[in-house]
Amino acid sequence: MALLALAGIMALPSTVFASGKSDAAAVQKQTATFFWANYDGVTEDYRKGLQDAFNKVDPNYQIDIIPVSWDQLKDKLTTALAGGKPPDISVIGTRWLLEYNDMNQLVPPGDYVSPATIDDIFAGAKEGVVNGKLMGLPVAAGARFLAINNSITTAVPKTMEELETMAIAANKPPEHYGLFMVGQKNAELTEFAYYFYAAGGDFFAKNPDGSFGKSLVNSPAGIKALTFMNKLANQDKVVEDGYLGMTRIQGHPLFYAGKIGYVMIGAWVESAMKQAGATFPVTYAQIPPFAGQKSTPLIITDSIAFFKGGKNLKAAGKFIDFWYQSEWKGKFDELAGFPPVTKKASSLPAFNTPMYKVMAEANVNAKGWPLIATWDQCQDVIWDAISKVYLQTATPKDALDAAAAAIDKINNIK
Amino acid sequence: MSERVLTPHNKLRVREARLAYALLLPAVVCVTGFMIYPLVYVFLMSVFKTNRLGWLVKFVGLTNFGTVLSDIEFWRVTGRSLLWTTLAVFMKTFLGMVIAMLLNVQFRGQKMARMLFIAPWASSVPISVLLWSWVYNPQFGLLNHTLKITGIWPNPPVWLGYPISGFFAAIWVDIWIGVPFMALVFLSGMQSIPEELYESADMDGVNNFQKFKFITLPSILRIVQISTLLSALWTFNDFNAIYILTGGGPVNSTDILITSIYKNAFVYARFDQAAVMAIITFIILTSLSVVYARYYFKEDV
Amino acid sequence: MMKPRTSKWRNRGKPFVIILTVLLLLIMLFPFFVMITTMLRTSKEVYISPPRWIPHTITFNNFFLVWSQYLLAGYFKSSAIIAIGSSALNMLLSIPAAYAIARLRFKGQQVALYLFLVVQMFSPVVVVISLFKTFSALNLLDSYIGLIIINAVFSMAFSIWLLSGYFKSIPVQIEEAAFIDGATRWQTVTRIILPISSPGLVTTTIYTFIAAWNEFLFALSFIQKQERMPLTLGLYRFVGRWSSQWELLTTSAFLAIIPVLVLFYIIQQRLIGGLTGGAVKG
Repeated sequence: MALLALAGIMALPSTVFASGKSDAAAVQKQTATFFWANYDGVTEDYRKGLQDAFNKVDPNYQIDIIPVSWDQLKDKLTTALAGGKPPDISVIGTRWLLEYNDMNQLVPPGDYVSPATIDDIFAGAKEGVVNGKLMGLPVAAGARFLAINNSITTAVPKTMEELETMAIAANKPPEHYGLFMVGQKNAELTEFAYYFYAAGGDFFAKNPDGSFGKSLVNSPAGIKALTFMNKLANQDKVVEDGYLGMTRIQGHPLFYAGKIGYVMIGAWVESAMKQAGATFPVTYAQIPPFAGQKSTPLIITDSIAFFKGGKNLKAAGKFIDFWYQSEWKGKFDELAGFPPVTKKASSLPAFNTPMYKVMAEANVNAKGWPLIATWDQCQDVIWDAISKVYLQTATPKDALDAAAAAIDKINNIK
Repeated sequence: MSERVLTPHNKLRVREARLAYALLLPAVVCVTGFMIYPLVYVFLMSVFKTNRLGWLVKFVGLTNFGTVLSDIEFWRVTGRSLLWTTLAVFMKTFLGMVIAMLLNVQFRGQKMARMLFIAPWASSVPISVLLWSWVYNPQFGLLNHTLKITGIWPNPPVWLGYPISGFFAAIWVDIWIGVPFMALVFLSGMQSIPEELYESADMDGVNNFQKFKFITLPSILRIVQISTLLSALWTFNDFNAIYILTGGGPVNSTDILITSIYKNAFVYARFDQAAVMAIITFIILTSLSVVYARYYFKEDV
Repeated sequence: MMKPRTSKWRNRGKPFVIILTVLLLLIMLFPFFVMITTMLRTSKEVYISPPRWIPHTITFNNFFLVWSQYLLAGYFKSSAIIAIGSSALNMLLSIPAAYAIARLRFKGQQVALYLFLVVQMFSPVVVVISLFKTFSALNLLDSYIGLIIINAVFSMAFSIWLLSGYFKSIPVQIEEAAFIDGATRWQTVTRIILPISSPGLVTTTIYTFIAAWNEFLFALSFIQKQERMPLTLGLYRFVGRWSSQWELLTTSAFLAIIPVLVLFYIIQQRLIGGLTGGAVKG
């Protein structure tokens, strides 16, 4: 009896210690995985630096920043999601947000990121809002604009029609070309969107409840845009030779090489030109609208998505807080060439150049991609229509009519 | 002639079979162990409706097959796949044979030449194709530039911008990547042919072409058969060459089955239709293999 | 010792052979010329139109850049581990299987050969997601072992078919003679069959090594950590969203090819078959 009591008394302190130990074990180490899309200009040093800086803060919350090339990002993410082992967070093109949300794969960032971080983000950058809830945390946003090679021409067009005339004047093949046009299908529909939005077009009709209806790609605005694009390429011939065989990545360097007068481009142009050693003077302007329309440039945003299947979301949230609230985010914006999405970063002097001023202006009226789950497929269809017109196997009207019908079929709209 | 059995007694034959199964077991287990689930899942996806992540939703029987087979575009793509495979395998076999014969000759620098011919194969396929896309670039690429200044082709096409030139641009890259393998396999086969056969043929006054037809070719026939079959299987499914160069475009005019499968799965998120196409690919390639197997096993017995 | 094989085009035809070889090399190596000229220039001269074969400034700086800033060494290490591992695993599994098919009589020989072929009919694109799930369940994701296994599996068909063909073509009499002399089966394999089929072994090794060295899709899908990325993935670091750093990409691609070429150069004399008299026929 006494022995038992003694044993019991001896056991008591150990239980106290034991519970203390299990408490410590309960705060388990969390290592979040972050699919980090490789933005041009953002170096490996930066990525490693950011990772190390956060990991030093709290040993219980760690981050693993996994670099992925943009070309492969969607594939890798799809495989991981379909395979049941998604990362905790990933950079995504905001247009993918709907897709993942429809499949119930997302959790709102607000569940894991502090309100301070979210409030610091510009309202205008919060494109990733689905049914009133912010589902994607903005990481990079940039409106597109017009860049003009001043050693070829200094004329600034106020309308698309003016752009046509000025491009013809600036066109002197094969020395230099008037306007840059992407002719080969790539992952983004940006070229068409510039002209389509400039004509006041909208990709989809909107239902009163906010969902998307019929495809409007074959509206008068669409036909006008595509006809105009085709005219520039095949009639006026102010675009670069061989435009059909070049994607944007392969073609934009022509501008940096000083052989293009006008190009519609984004924030990366300055760092790209520096890398290419371009020395000619450049002015920036808004992408002009068609006569009688309002200037509506395209804005492309990327977001960070939080995945339901992630097991370390708490660590992920802490990481985002760290990143966005420190000078690291401003540095990122500067390296990538994007205008900052946070108020904190936008006060930095690096962002007061003429290019950023033009972009800030463009942000006001810019329109993004339609947030629809089937967008990648719709884009594909529209691109094919454009190619048909360039190859002169269909008229703009026929090609776009067919595209609209195909898109409606994809979306099950009667 | 081909006596494979070393000791023909029945008791030993049972022991022999057991030994055979034991030797085969590791390889069979490894392959089936890992591939059984993916293959079964592909079959399942083809008879189910899938969601955008490829998960099975509802059994629909042969509906997916109906959808795919009634699409005229599917037949065009399949026909193109067959054309693609036939042309590419033929060229790879032909060029591989030529190169193997050249490298079979003893000359100074033979070792260096052999190493250099391997180069297209030594590089990762996506990177090589990317490099080719750079070479084909109409403005920055050195191919058209060189063709123009040497006068070989004063007005070369914009390779990747049009359906026909795109097809040939892509097929040349596929051939370029595949030739070293064929050459290597043929060469290693030729190396086993004893010199004496050629010497006696020389003494009989046989010319070069006959030597090839009656000595070289029969000796490496087995090897040619198996490499062309495998090459056909690989070429049919060669995804990178077309996808990275033309994306299957313009307007899907250079799509073959495998790029269409990829697009359906990863771009359109229609995994069920992608699975149907994979099954049909399987059926086509199986039929091809059966025909081959007939010839290959005919000589055994 | 080993008589080098020469073909029927003896000394008379040699100049023709050399000319044709050089011509074909020029055609086949064309993109590599482009690669070499691109990797020796600065980023400022990569995008010039019309292009130039010889840049104004030739620089070797890219080599330093990719090594120090982009940690190419790590990618090399990963690729080497995966390639060597899967070659080894493949040989370990294929040689016994090929021997069984070539030398032993049993039911289901055709089935076995066919089974390995079936795997080849499915492109990695089709099976990648399911394999991801499998490896995830086995906790083999993001590991060298996972990639070693899958690369070995996908090379199995070629290895077994080729090796069994080689083994089959060795006349049985040689082994029978050895049996009479009291050799065990194991000894006939190691002392007779393997040495004679060294061209086949070499070809299979090279094939598996190169296939694993250059494998892309599975590496992309399974590997997460930067430290385990092989070259095929690492090289994509230079492919940006809006422009590619061709000078660095070509430099790295060039460095990635070198080990393979060197390996081949060393092994290639084994391609010359060993033969102890007697004909070897297909």
